[in-house]
Amino acid sequence: MASIISVKDVSKTYRVPQREAGLRAALSSLTKPQFLEVEAVKSITFSINPGEMVALIGPNGAGKTTTLKMLTGLLQPTSGQISVNGYIPGKRGNDFLSQISIVLGNKSQMLWDIPPLDTFQVLGEIYRIPKEILRQRIDEMVALLDMFEILRKPVRNLSLGERMKCELVASLLHQPKVLFLDEPTLGLDISVQNRLRSFILEYNLRYQATILLTSHYMADIERLCNRVLLIHHGDLLYDGALKGLSSLLTNSKIIRLTLSEQQSEQQSTAWLPEGAEIIERNHHNFTLRVNRSRTAAITAELLKHLPVSDLSVEEPALEAVIDRVYQDGAL
Amino acid sequence: MYYLKLIRSFMRASLQQDLAYRANFWINLLHSLLNLVVALAAILILFNQINDLNGWTFSATVGVMAVYLIIGALRGLFIGPSLETLVGMGQEVWNGNFDFSLIRPVNIQFLVTFRIWRFFSLFDLALGVGVLFYAVSQSPDPLTWLNWFLFAITLAAGTLIIYALLLGLSALAFWSPGFLITWVFDALFQLARYPIGIYPPFIRILLTWIIPIGLITTIPAQALSGQIGSGMALTSLAVAGLLLIFASLLFHRGIRRYHSASS
Amino acid sequence: MNHRGGLALIRSTWLSWMQYRSFFFILAFGWMVPPLVAMFVWMAAAGNGNVGGIERSAFIAYYLVLILVNQLTYSQTNWTVGDIIREGSLNHWLIRPLSPLYQILSSEIAGKVVYLIFTIPIVLILVVLLKPQFTFSLNHFVIFWIALFLAWALRFLWGLWIAMLAFWATRADALLALQDSMIFIFSGMIAPVAILPGALQKIAEFLPFRYMVGFPVEIMTANLTSQQILIGITIQSVWLSIAALSSWIVWRKGLFRYSAIGG
Repeated sequence: MASIISVKDVSKTYRVPQREAGLRAALSSLTKPQFLEVEAVKSITFSINPGEMVALIGPNGAGKTTTLKMLTGLLQPTSGQISVNGYIPGKRGNDFLSQISIVLGNKSQMLWDIPPLDTFQVLGEIYRIPKEILRQRIDEMVALLDMFEILRKPVRNLSLGERMKCELVASLLHQPKVLFLDEPTLGLDISVQNRLRSFILEYNLRYQATILLTSHYMADIERLCNRVLLIHHGDLLYDGALKGLSSLLTNSKIIRLTLSEQQSEQQSTAWLPEGAEIIERNHHNFTLRVNRSRTAAITAELLKHLPVSDLSVEEPALEAVIDRVYQDGAL
Repeated sequence: MYYLKLIRSFMRASLQQDLAYRANFWINLLHSLLNLVVALAAILILFNQINDLNGWTFSATVGVMAVYLIIGALRGLFIGPSLETLVGMGQEVWNGNFDFSLIRPVNIQFLVTFRIWRFFSLFDLALGVGVLFYAVSQSPDPLTWLNWFLFAITLAAGTLIIYALLLGLSALAFWSPGFLITWVFDALFQLARYPIGIYPPFIRILLTWIIPIGLITTIPAQALSGQIGSGMALTSLAVAGLLLIFASLLFHRGIRRYHSASS
Repeated sequence: MNHRGGLALIRSTWLSWMQYRSFFFILAFGWMVPPLVAMFVWMAAAGNGNVGGIERSAFIAYYLVLILVNQLTYSQTNWTVGDIIREGSLNHWLIRPLSPLYQILSSEIAGKVVYLIFTIPIVLILVVLLKPQFTFSLNHFVIFWIALFLAWALRFLWGLWIAMLAFWATRADALLALQDSMIFIFSGMIAPVAILPGALQKIAEFLPFRYMVGFPVEIMTANLTSQQILIGITIQSVWLSIAALSSWIVWRKGLFRYSAIGG
């Protein structure tokens, strides 16, 4: 299958003016301006197939927003080739723009003082959507998102969750082939987050839209995406299935242990095999971190020496793992 | 055709937005009337003391004021509000909402020029036209069709010039966002209320060659009173065209800069 | 009276506003332009002779002083007070151990310092460029400062009681807009009061507006007689008392209503 998004050796370097404090520095910066070169994205390569739902993750300032903007044409790459749906985003051709869409989590494209329906109508004109088709699409999405009542309320009177529903509908009116979502569930409560995720999944199922998503919420990524691109310090550190990420990021696994009798503190530490550490303890429930390669051996030892009533082996929570990556700055 | 339908759609949305704030209508009415009264009072008080302002008669001076009001109204109809969204107080360029505008499959210059309409300016336009007819009625010489024709051409040129100036100044926001350059223009534009011939030389030069505000209001008034001929009128049109081209180029350069620098 | 708190507030307000000085400088520039336009117009009118006994260089002196006096007496707090009452931020002020008056004064003083940093140099440049004619008298100089202080207090309190009508009417903006127009015509901005046409001149001598701006300017530049000055100060003081009383009454009644309806 030909890819719909293709990124080859793409880099983005910003030139940030450097200036120190003080009058002399200010004057010299006029004649000899000094720039600091910030490499926001360093030669990354990946490709995405039609209909895929991919997450772009990484700490703030890692380069994910920069990458997203380069894919939409909002930013020009410093070097490399990008192709989205057969177009070069940087050229910003109208044909290209009619086939993509963006949703920005903390910004709104809705006209503020009037009902969402009116904004939809303006967008319908801009994207040249025939009236009948526009109405059908609005009806379909309104039904999926259960937002019938808010269609005629001024946007300024809507809650954040209701507004995000409108943003999503607005971005899909012209049935873009590629949808870019930047932190779409930011600040929303759980039920609305779930609603939006279900909607996005359903939409992808019905229309095979390719979706590229950035989010800080693991729940978004786990629910929606089966593929993850991890960007850190401008480098693409990982490109693959979500499952593989945690085994790559860490060499540990989690064992949850429930013992049938209360042990005293002395005895607890005594029975701990090599390579296991207690990270949490609650009465007779224990959470241990163990070396991945020794999981089987340690499990056998625990079962042999302790009155175990329940035991399970898990991957570490993705969030915790990724947090540690962000902090340590390396794989 | 598409672009006309788009304009209609923008007009409709803007009207709906304005109607959401009905209380403002009366305040705006009051402001418009007060501005008119003060502007006319100034000229009346002036000509109560003199007969002639550096060669400008009462009627001609009121004529300049009328052109000022008319062009101000045309600006306030769509050029001003649309560009204000880009670079005014709630700067789109600054707060990041500009990305939404850039992502639309529409020419970006068209979008930032025509997207917001304030129909109340039609009232200001009517007031300006009223003042114009008052000025004409006070004119010592009768006006011919040629006067009106040249007036129409130079008025169109003046409108294009103010659009070009505002577009160009707005483009500067891509290099220094946050600096309310259109407010500086508004302050300077006050000088256009009066014929630029009355100002001291250094102001006259500033207003003709550096920021050609003088061409916007004085020339049309001169055309109407027959002080200039078709040569000058066509020149002003040519100048307007050149400024427009230059401003559009500057604007697109600004957009390119936004694309390479935004973060 | 919490003086330490008050002074600290003034200083911190000033510091934070200086961060945005380009914004405030643009505002100050905007306020400077109407008197400058009037100045140029009267300069042209006077030509080589005079208008109503005032010569060209006397007009320059008058208006340059007026720019400074206007900046010193202009009260922007009037606009913000209404907003504060409407938005309910008044609660924040009321629970601080600092009289609300101090808080208003802090923004007044901080603002003026910021604006003057811009205005004074510009006026000095214009003095050098335009060479106004000054007749200087020590007595007048001293009385000028008294009249200036009274003018500021009058303009401030007068605007304050109108702005506080926001306790009742949701928009006192209309009245403030009207007030600005009145000031423009009657305070000596459009023309020195002495050369206003007959009826307007008589009215202007009794209305409070001349005493907010024009009167101190006239003391400095217009060779008023001792008798004229005395009458002027008296009328100024009378209006000041009326303004102070109105402010006090409106404040008390407004506060009562504010707390009665829950703020």
